Amino acid sequence: MNTWRRLFDRMMGRWIEQEEDLERELRTDLELEAEEQQENGVSAEEAQYAARRAFGNTTLVTQDVREAWGWTWLERLIQDTRFGLRQLGNSPGFTAVAILTLALGIGANTAIFTIVHAVMMKSLPVPNPEQLYSLGNTKLCCDTTDIVPLHDNFALYSFPLYQHVRDNTPEFSELAAFQSWLANLSVRRSGVASIAEPYFGEFVSGNYFSLFQIGAFAGRALTVADDQPNAQPVAVVSYRTWSQRLGSDPSVIGASFTINGQSMTVVGVMPPGFFGDTLRSDPADFWIPLAMEPNLDRDDSFLNQSSEFWLYAVGRLQPGNNPEQVQAKVKTEIQQWLSDQKGNSERTRQLIGTLRLSLTPAGSGVTRLRTTYGDGLYMLTVISALVLLIACANIANLLLVRATAGRLQTALRVALGASRGRLIRQTLTEGILLSFLGGVAGIIVSFIGIRAILLLAFRGAKYVPIDATPSLSVLGFAFVLSLITGIIFSVAPAFIASRAHPGETLRGAGRVTGDNSALPQKILVALQATISLVLLVGAALMTQSLRNLQKQQFGFESQSRLIVRLNPALAGYSFERLPGLYRQLQDRFSRMPGVLSASMALHSPMDGWNWGGDVSITGRPPSPNSADDNVQYDFVGPHYFETIGTRLLSGRPIEERDTPSSGHVVVINDAFSRKFFSHADALGKHLGFNGISHAGDYEIVGIVEDTKYIDPKIPAEPMVFLPLLQTVTYEDSTQKAYQVWGNYIDGVQLHVVGRPENFQTQVHNALAEIDPNLTPIKITNLEEQLNSRLNSQRLIAQLTSLYGVLALVLACVGLYGVASYTVARRTSEIGLRMAIGANSKQVLGMVLRSAMAPIILGLGIGIPVVIAAGHAIASQLYGVKSYDPPILVLAITVLAVSAALAAVIPARRAASIDPMRALRTE
Amino acid sequence: MPTNMTKETVNRMALLQGTLDMLILRTVLTAPAHGHQIAKHIQRTTEEVLQVEHGSLYPALHRLERKGWVSAKWETPADRNREFKYYRLTAAGRKQLAVEESRWKQLAAAISSVMSPSPES
Repeated sequence: MNTWRRLFDRMMGRWIEQEEDLERELRTDLELEAEEQQENGVSAEEAQYAARRAFGNTTLVTQDVREAWGWTWLERLIQDTRFGLRQLGNSPGFTAVAILTLALGIGANTAIFTIVHAVMMKSLPVPNPEQLYSLGNTKLCCDTTDIVPLHDNFALYSFPLYQHVRDNTPEFSELAAFQSWLANLSVRRSGVASIAEPYFGEFVSGNYFSLFQIGAFAGRALTVADDQPNAQPVAVVSYRTWSQRLGSDPSVIGASFTINGQSMTVVGVMPPGFFGDTLRSDPADFWIPLAMEPNLDRDDSFLNQSSEFWLYAVGRLQPGNNPEQVQAKVKTEIQQWLSDQKGNSERTRQLIGTLRLSLTPAGSGVTRLRTTYGDGLYMLTVISALVLLIACANIANLLLVRATAGRLQTALRVALGASRGRLIRQTLTEGILLSFLGGVAGIIVSFIGIRAILLLAFRGAKYVPIDATPSLSVLGFAFVLSLITGIIFSVAPAFIASRAHPGETLRGAGRVTGDNSALPQKILVALQATISLVLLVGAALMTQSLRNLQKQQFGFESQSRLIVRLNPALAGYSFERLPGLYRQLQDRFSRMPGVLSASMALHSPMDGWNWGGDVSITGRPPSPNSADDNVQYDFVGPHYFETIGTRLLSGRPIEERDTPSSGHVVVINDAFSRKFFSHADALGKHLGFNGISHAGDYEIVGIVEDTKYIDPKIPAEPMVFLPLLQTVTYEDSTQKAYQVWGNYIDGVQLHVVGRPENFQTQVHNALAEIDPNLTPIKITNLEEQLNSRLNSQRLIAQLTSLYGVLALVLACVGLYGVASYTVARRTSEIGLRMAIGANSKQVLGMVLRSAMAPIILGLGIGIPVVIAAGHAIASQLYGVKSYDPPILVLAITVLAVSAALAAVIPARRAASIDPMRALRTE
Repeated sequence: MPTNMTKETVNRMALLQGTLDMLILRTVLTAPAHGHQIAKHIQRTTEEVLQVEHGSLYPALHRLERKGWVSAKWETPADRNREFKYYRLTAAGRKQLAVEESRWKQLAAAISSVMSPSPES
């Protein structure tokens, strides 16, 4: 940048110097001439006059000399630019519309492209990311630990299995494992009088940072030595957390922190920009060695369980190894290890035999973000490209209109001797100037746009590790795009301008009947109408789909429901202390003023999690395929259903009398009842989990309506609600651990009077009263929890609507431009018509008809295109068919009415033409 | 008609230009001179037959300077107390002068052999 600036300055400096030099040279010559004349006896005044006469035209001499310098191109460029700016300044309306159009088109594309780039293409900020491979396709698999290893997409590892693979696959220079989700941590700096605060943490193997080849920003990274059973408890913190939440305090390194009740030393701050293995909103704040997991998770520790599959494994492949061979080798290792496990059933052995593993490039992280947003982002890319297309059509149209309207001026210039080349260059300069200004404005729009999209896309996230600044290459791309737009769309007008035949134009200017000459403009308007229709229908379909998603029967009430997410394990509660805590919580919250009903549960609807297991029912043989017996389940306390607003269909809900010592009961949902009991009465029947021997564990006492827990798009699945703390004795240690874990609640639900946000302080005070270590991880409400599940749908719907409206506005602007231009050109014709008897109504009709013709043509072409486009986005829709006649009719009406409004203004202007004055023009 | 006239003018200019360059180079061969001196010198030497117009002289001087055949410098002559822009011949200019002179001689010889043929041919 600076170099260019200096070069320019130097050029300008040299030019000015040369100008001054020439002027001085010519002056001295002139003076000498005058002196000589005077010596010949002429008077001083006369001499000067004579000298000047002898010298000739100074300006001409100067110009000829300049020609010799070779500076003319620069001079002409400056002249052209100045002239172009003046021309643009002369029609501020045109200029503003053109720049705005370009800015929106370019800005929308830059914004989308930046986000697509960050989410879909960008590598992790680590050295040699292309060497990283994930053992299994993590992009398709598994947010939850609660699955048996999926034989057709193996991606989760237990710690012993990971050790086995790590020690037997030297093809990886490093093979690290890490928790497949982020854990909630409750962190307090020891010795400082502060309360514990919620953070996100991730358990990682000791070689995690050497895998990524990432060193510490300050202090040191975790090492293999930290990941030993008896190592000193240590952790590292992310740069962002250190700088934003720990005040960039250097004494943090070496300081002791209490994390989930366990004292740990923070030994390092990781470098800025490193957000871990996965691009996600709210990434990990702390990384903790896997060996520390038993100390933090206590009763429900996973680390040494062979059959707990909860880790992702990512390795750095040594250069020169073939990923396919390594994939085959790792698969054999996994199959070998699984077969060596005790107690494999016939079915399990079968599954092990057909196990599938794919070694997946992980250079861009093991991100699931792209699976969530991928389709939507691609759709938006297409949409924004369409908007740019409309913008370009508009610019082309406006420039064409201008070129034709300015024909008189051009003709005059040709007549006065302007060369064709110069005229073309002049028009091109104007186009480039426009696109330059539009490009600059577009970049400003893109900065705002990226922030807006991130805000929409990651609603509720505290922090998204996506750089909201377009990269230099994206900016360059946008800029080149706008310049190309400018050049391409000013070439045609430039040629029209250069072809102008001065004589004819000057003679016949304005005397035009009919408007065939505006054909290119009409085609462009028709094209705009087509694209606008597609975008409008798309927007309407997406909006309708979102509305259906939001307005559907969820099986719970989202209004006035407060969700306090907390985990007693983080406050160091053992399983034995849970009954006391739950009594206290139930008591304290039920008494809180403004609370209608309070309850506790492992999971509330739409909090992003749910559990599943194979159910057994007394008197019913297990299904041949165990997946058919898989149902979802939740542990809930008394008053749960009335608190979240789920209706009871028959029987009774879970109540206070369902204590650990009373008879074990469950409530099922309608889907469960329909699937397993069809028409029979489910009440009084028995069911259980983990094998047929447990089929009699619980008695069904109630049936509730279907409630959507995870995905608002798919129908509710069969579900069982178990009372908190009513436990069953299992033999298997994993099953035991699960049961313990499931009884640690994840949240308290409150049905309150009025807005849930007003209860924040009250909730904090109540918790502090019960136990100061109980920190809420998050206080939210059911509506917000539901909304964050609909993030991507909402983002798409809102952006499509935005772009749809944008397209509509642009199309109307284009139509208005063409219509008013036509009216201006036909002024004398219209005057003549009126003079011989046409009334203003007829004129109005005539102009409207000719303006609306291309719109109607465009809409006609648009209908089949819309139907095709609807099929393409069918998978994105909920509750709307891809072809929806009312929406189509509505979109066509909106477009036609808007277009008519845009055409009415020039049409009325035409109708109010005074024939006498119109005929006198020219 | 007007078009033809323009063409004629251009041709004459081109012819003059080549000659003017040679004349300027020849003028500054012996001693550096400023624009006014060069013009006067040519006029005086040709006894006012060749009138050098400023409109031709200065563009020619700057063109020669750009080609590197002459160099220019503001200097104060001994008998004056003001600066003039003096042009002097460079080594490249000296070569160019030789080229143009020989070309001119060939041309002049060719023309004269047409105009006053020798008895043998």
